[in-house]
Amino acid sequence: MGRIFRDIAIGILAIAVLAAVPHLIPGKAFQDFVIRCSSMALFATSLNLLVGYTGLSSFGHGLFFGLGTYSFALLMQRTGISLPMAFIATLLINAVTAVAVGAICIRLRLIYFAFVTLAMQMLMHSIIISWVGLTGGDQGLQGGIPRRVVAGIDLGNQYNLYIFAAVVLVIGLLIMRHIVNTSFGTSLRMIRDNEARASFLGIVVWRVKLTVFVLSAVFASVGGIVMSLFVSGAYPELINWPISGDAIFAIVMGGVGSFLGPTVGTMILLLLNDVVTRQTEYYGLALGIIILAFALGLRRGLLDFITERLGGRPAGGIS
Amino acid sequence: MPDIHAAGWGRRTVLAATAALAMPRIARAAANPLKIGIPTILSGPIALLGTSSRGAIQPEIDRINAAGGLLGRQIQPIFRDSKGQPQEAARVARELINTDGCEILLDAEASSGAYAVQEVVRDLGVLCLHSNSETSSLTADPKLRVATAFRCARQGVHDAIVGGAHSAKVATAKKLSKWATCSPDYAFGRDTTAQFLEFLKHFKPDIEVVSQGWPKLGAPDFTEVITKILQAKPQALYSALYAGDLSAFVNQGNVYALFSAMQVFVPAMGDLPVLTAVKSLPAGIQSANRYLPTFPATADNAAWGAAYRKANDNAYPTNWSWENATAMRFIEAAVTKAGSTDGKKAAAALEGMTIDSPFSITGKVTMRAEDHTLIDYAIGWGTTVPKDPFVVDMEPGDWGQIAELEKEWKKTNGYI
Repeated sequence: MGRIFRDIAIGILAIAVLAAVPHLIPGKAFQDFVIRCSSMALFATSLNLLVGYTGLSSFGHGLFFGLGTYSFALLMQRTGISLPMAFIATLLINAVTAVAVGAICIRLRLIYFAFVTLAMQMLMHSIIISWVGLTGGDQGLQGGIPRRVVAGIDLGNQYNLYIFAAVVLVIGLLIMRHIVNTSFGTSLRMIRDNEARASFLGIVVWRVKLTVFVLSAVFASVGGIVMSLFVSGAYPELINWPISGDAIFAIVMGGVGSFLGPTVGTMILLLLNDVVTRQTEYYGLALGIIILAFALGLRRGLLDFITERLGGRPAGGIS
Repeated sequence: MPDIHAAGWGRRTVLAATAALAMPRIARAAANPLKIGIPTILSGPIALLGTSSRGAIQPEIDRINAAGGLLGRQIQPIFRDSKGQPQEAARVARELINTDGCEILLDAEASSGAYAVQEVVRDLGVLCLHSNSETSSLTADPKLRVATAFRCARQGVHDAIVGGAHSAKVATAKKLSKWATCSPDYAFGRDTTAQFLEFLKHFKPDIEVVSQGWPKLGAPDFTEVITKILQAKPQALYSALYAGDLSAFVNQGNVYALFSAMQVFVPAMGDLPVLTAVKSLPAGIQSANRYLPTFPATADNAAWGAAYRKANDNAYPTNWSWENATAMRFIEAAVTKAGSTDGKKAAAALEGMTIDSPFSITGKVTMRAEDHTLIDYAIGWGTTVPKDPFVVDMEPGDWGQIAELEKEWKKTNGYI
């Protein structure tokens, strides 16, 4: 219980600090960065529930991130419901989709699981591209997102959206941290380390796997909602397979074994993107070299490396 | 008027005092450049879009700066690569305004990126000229329109109308009633083809479409679609393929003698990088102009084409090049007229503005006030020949007819 209160206190402190920063730093670049970071960090951390904690390497997690952007943007454009209702409906749509997709995928293991999840994402991407009347096809969903208001606060205002994104990020991370610290989280790690032993101990493996698959999909869709608000629409690139690669890169760079590793990795990835894009057109080359340096130099994510250097063992570390 | 000599001031003192007073202003102008943010695509398979846009924008800015700048301030362009990703285009556009201090956006993005930038402009209220998006709904659909955003590029529906009228004329003369189509399998390819057929049937209702092929974008092998077309034995073929796909299609079509088996209509053929990339350009393909230094056949246009090549290591200008040069000229004229870079003031100045242009048959192009889009630019169809100038016998489209049919099209789509 003490840990929960400590985490909540840290979360509130983080929001307070983030709320104060724009008053100290002029310009809106920091706000933009935090909004994008919030979206991608939720996405990457949700993927790490599968990769780091359960040992399920999904290559198609971007399906739920992208579906989050499309469902939310479509609900806001096509229906008259409020933003909070669209938010909840998006989570439900993603949960139902994840049950269907997960029911097929979680019975597979290792590379088969990875490739079937990727196939599912490519299938959804094809549907989005083909269903021009609903999704706008390859042009994306245009026309902006109307009624961006939560409890009388207009998210069309950049600072309000920034605070909203920060709050959503902190709450999302707190819930996911709570999940991995419960007995359910222990079951996940047991399945990751030895699935047969977990089964012999009475854990219904498929049920636990499906549950975490659905939970991770729901959190990925929250990231998608934040991205949808940021770009004020939804685009096929947000559901295409490279977006899953971005989340995997974030986990690799930040650390698969540390809870905050994917968040740190997201910050590194976005900073690299922003800095390198300002300097050169050869972004891919620069990013490739840096990822190689992480893989060959540190041999693990940054946060895992630091934790081990300090003499600890990453909590979610793969044994 | 006070007598400065009576006050004991010599001529040198006055000059020195004037210079001293003027210096901070001059220094401020140099230190306070007018930054224009230019999100575009500079990497990946369609990097030519960004590089040939940049190749046209920079000489325009150099010209303006050499003449003293805009509102007395030197223009500083900031080009940024969106990698062809709409979410990155939105981020870059925000960054250019919020962080880099750009006062104007010249959005040289492809269509999907342009829609993302449009939403950023809706939020930030800066003056924005989209210079590469040809998708009609960007400015035609009132729901998507933004008060400070304009399109300074050709438009899909304009091309469809002129293409339909010209093709119907050729089809009537040559008695072409059986048609096939071959266009890239994504929204642009399908929409453009449907629009072309709609206007072709408007002018010549008795045509029949006997085969439709939809090769994947970037497909290296067109054998299957070429043999399918040949088997259907059409009298005419329309293709919305473009750039590298188009040159690959023509090269492979030559092997199967496709171009001697039927009359071919390709609107995107008339762009110099494509024309020069084809190994053996067949004679007799009907093509629209994208950018041709010979259309309009004026000294100004030829000189602009030559100057572009000189400034860009002999690279050929593209359709995107003239659109961006025009956008820069509209920015110059609008900001000068408004006396400000403020989004609302500059937009008010730009609405309905007409400027001189080498890219128009009449020598002038207009930014139409009602839907913030470019009109009166050079648009026409001609016939390919294997050697320079590659496309001859250009027939210009009729802007009166374009305006009339565009209005009908807007009504049909519920835009007006």
